[in-house]
Amino acid sequence: MDTIDAFKLFFDYVGAFFILYMIGYASFLFLAVAVGSSTLYQLKRRSGLKNELPQEYYVPVTIVVPAYNEEITIAATIRSLLCLDYKIYEIVIVDDGSTDHTVQVLLDTFHMKQVPRPLHRMVPCKPERAIYEASGFKVPISLICKKNGGKADALNMGINASRYPYFVCMDADSVLQHDSLEKIVRPVLEEGNVVAVGGAVRPCNGTEIENGRVVAYHLPNRLLPCMQVLEYDRSFLAARILFDKFNGSIIISGAFGLFKKSVVVDAGGYDTTTMGEDMELVVKLHVFCREHGIPYRIRYATDAICWTQAPESLRDLRKQRRRWHIGLFQSMSRHRRILANPKYGLVGFISYLYFLIYELFSPYIEIFGVITVILAFFLDLINIPFMIMFFFIYVLYSAILSLTAFFARIHTIDLKLSLSDVAKAIGLCALEVSCLRFIMAWVRATALIGYRANRQSWGKSQRKKIHFD
Amino acid sequence: MRIEVMIYIYGAICLSMILFNVVYSLLLRGSKPRLDRRSRKLEGMVQLQLERLRRGEHVEEGHQIRMQRKLRHLKNLMAFDQTLRPLVQEEKDSAIHSYLVELQPTILYLALVYIRRENMQAAYFSYFLSRYMLKRHMPIQTLQDVMLDYARKDNLYCRVNALQALYNFGSPQHICTALQMQTQSSVFLHEKILTEGLLSYTGDHSQLIALLWERLDTFPPHTQLAILNYIRFQTGDYTAQMLELMTNQRADKELRLAAIRYFGKYHYQPALDYLLYFSSQTDPTRWEYATVSVTALACYRGERVVIALKQALHSANWYVRYAAAASLEAQQMDYKQLLDIVSGSDRYAREMMTYRLESRRMQKAGG
Repeated sequence: MDTIDAFKLFFDYVGAFFILYMIGYASFLFLAVAVGSSTLYQLKRRSGLKNELPQEYYVPVTIVVPAYNEEITIAATIRSLLCLDYKIYEIVIVDDGSTDHTVQVLLDTFHMKQVPRPLHRMVPCKPERAIYEASGFKVPISLICKKNGGKADALNMGINASRYPYFVCMDADSVLQHDSLEKIVRPVLEEGNVVAVGGAVRPCNGTEIENGRVVAYHLPNRLLPCMQVLEYDRSFLAARILFDKFNGSIIISGAFGLFKKSVVVDAGGYDTTTMGEDMELVVKLHVFCREHGIPYRIRYATDAICWTQAPESLRDLRKQRRRWHIGLFQSMSRHRRILANPKYGLVGFISYLYFLIYELFSPYIEIFGVITVILAFFLDLINIPFMIMFFFIYVLYSAILSLTAFFARIHTIDLKLSLSDVAKAIGLCALEVSCLRFIMAWVRATALIGYRANRQSWGKSQRKKIHFD
Repeated sequence: MRIEVMIYIYGAICLSMILFNVVYSLLLRGSKPRLDRRSRKLEGMVQLQLERLRRGEHVEEGHQIRMQRKLRHLKNLMAFDQTLRPLVQEEKDSAIHSYLVELQPTILYLALVYIRRENMQAAYFSYFLSRYMLKRHMPIQTLQDVMLDYARKDNLYCRVNALQALYNFGSPQHICTALQMQTQSSVFLHEKILTEGLLSYTGDHSQLIALLWERLDTFPPHTQLAILNYIRFQTGDYTAQMLELMTNQRADKELRLAAIRYFGKYHYQPALDYLLYFSSQTDPTRWEYATVSVTALACYRGERVVIALKQALHSANWYVRYAAAASLEAQQMDYKQLLDIVSGSDRYAREMMTYRLESRRMQKAGG
């Protein structure tokens, strides 16, 4: 067999592999968007027909806001939390040793006073330096200043300082919609064994929010955040709804999630040695509950909305995605025993397998595919018109699914889009799947290089002042 | 299967999905005006009947028949809801209440129609009933019996709405039966939903509570807990019964804790000895009894209580210490009276009490 024959054989195998890979991905994406969209429409109908619990049921909730160098956004974030339509909650801000004026901004804005408050150390975290409290507001506000230990460590401190049986974790640069707390608590009232609920995280770039209410919705003017809006709906929203159908969610975004404190404490709290503490905790909860025979549900509340700033520069986006990928790698390698293990049910067979192949390995597979195409091109072993046609089919298919998820989301939460936004969405969805996706594949593929050096990094992005109120 | 075929199939489904989006968007735009139009039409019909009622006449039989036919359609029922809402809210016109009373045969007919519909529509109908059949003078036995069927449906919202309707116009017997039915189903009803629902009952609470207490043992602990919480929020007349439950060692732990909480809300001197006993529990497995009883002691006075609370401040359990400090603070004790604690050698007790006292001082300083 000569060299060319060997290459042909190699390309045949690669081709077969990619056909299977793409069929798997396309089927998953298709299923996710179809199920996701129909669920959103179903929820809309349900709400119209008053198939919902009345608003007067309140489960006490602690909102934990970990902060590190958030002097620009923290005051607006806390003010927005004070506007939530909910009765029984408290706000616990954990300053993780900020080097800017985060603490001073909070002390000045909310007239906080130092108190000798003892903390209940249920999960391990770095010691506190000082505790402040504010009174006279709608709900109690506490500020815990502690030694720097990373986001997970700050969240653990928040758990220790919380007084209520459920806690919500969120990012200091995010804003909860006025009804989000009520919506994220709803699954707890609907089912008896809910241990965690994920909220829907949406990019707020371009959106005008007043007192936690969206007053004007526009797609962002800049290309990068605009493409992320489409990507969020297709990849995150749809997939999470699908996983929710079989209790298979293994990610609850750190930007907005509700947890039952007792179960999180029993499971050991957040892991301070990982960058993806949000995913690690959810996988750990699956493992903990299944190994201890605890009936449990991890739910996803599509109507509990948290608005967050999507990175506006490629540099920040790269940093964010790198952090996500390292976190994914750490969580998956730490809990690798659940892969295809019948003890963990569909979580091990579907969720873990999907994340392994189409999230963790996908950047390597995709880059390998691109390199193979280039190699085949130089060896003149590729049908170029067919390749171009196939690429266009892929772009068209993904773009339509992006648009389907995007419009389903827009229609079902009563947002109004201008014609220019519709045109923008249609134009950019193709660009997102044909360009941004490959750039992100490269970022993720190179993410693991030298990751150990930054284990507890907060991975900060450039913050903009938020006008939420 | 050939790959091309698969691509075509997926592509066709994708296109149909996007087409669905477009059509849905167009329908959505028109749905509100359509509902408004239907509502205006119905309003015209209702206003004619209101005029008759104001003149002392009755609702026309033809109107009942027309409404029965129209309201079979969900969209019309939604429009009717929209029509009635402002009329009922204004409440300045008694004719609307007479109208609703006279419409009962139609409502009963519709209840039998919607019970056969899918769960979502049935849940909407029970929501409609809970909203408009809101007067105590309106109960009719048959409608309440039909509501029990709604409360039995295998759907959470249908059950919650049906229960809400019964809280609004049902008899204690029907509510009790509806609650008993909940225990025979796989649908989970959070105790908060049950308690809040019972609290919204518009009839005589003492009658309902008496019946629920009589049948308490027929409910599972989860529902019993909701009932006990309801009683706690509603009346202080059950001290003797609660004392019996609190001291019953065979009773469920959560129920006994609920009974202890009852004495935190209603002062009852015969319960004091037991509360003091529970608060002195050092067995780590019984920390909940100690915590709840220490919290309940906040509304009892006397030297024995203070000694017990101070002792509880030295507990190895964080929650017991926290509750003890809160109860001592609730007794309005100051630094001088708590000198043995705030200058004592037990750091944990000292920190907990100091925090409470300092918080109170700051609150006073802050007005």
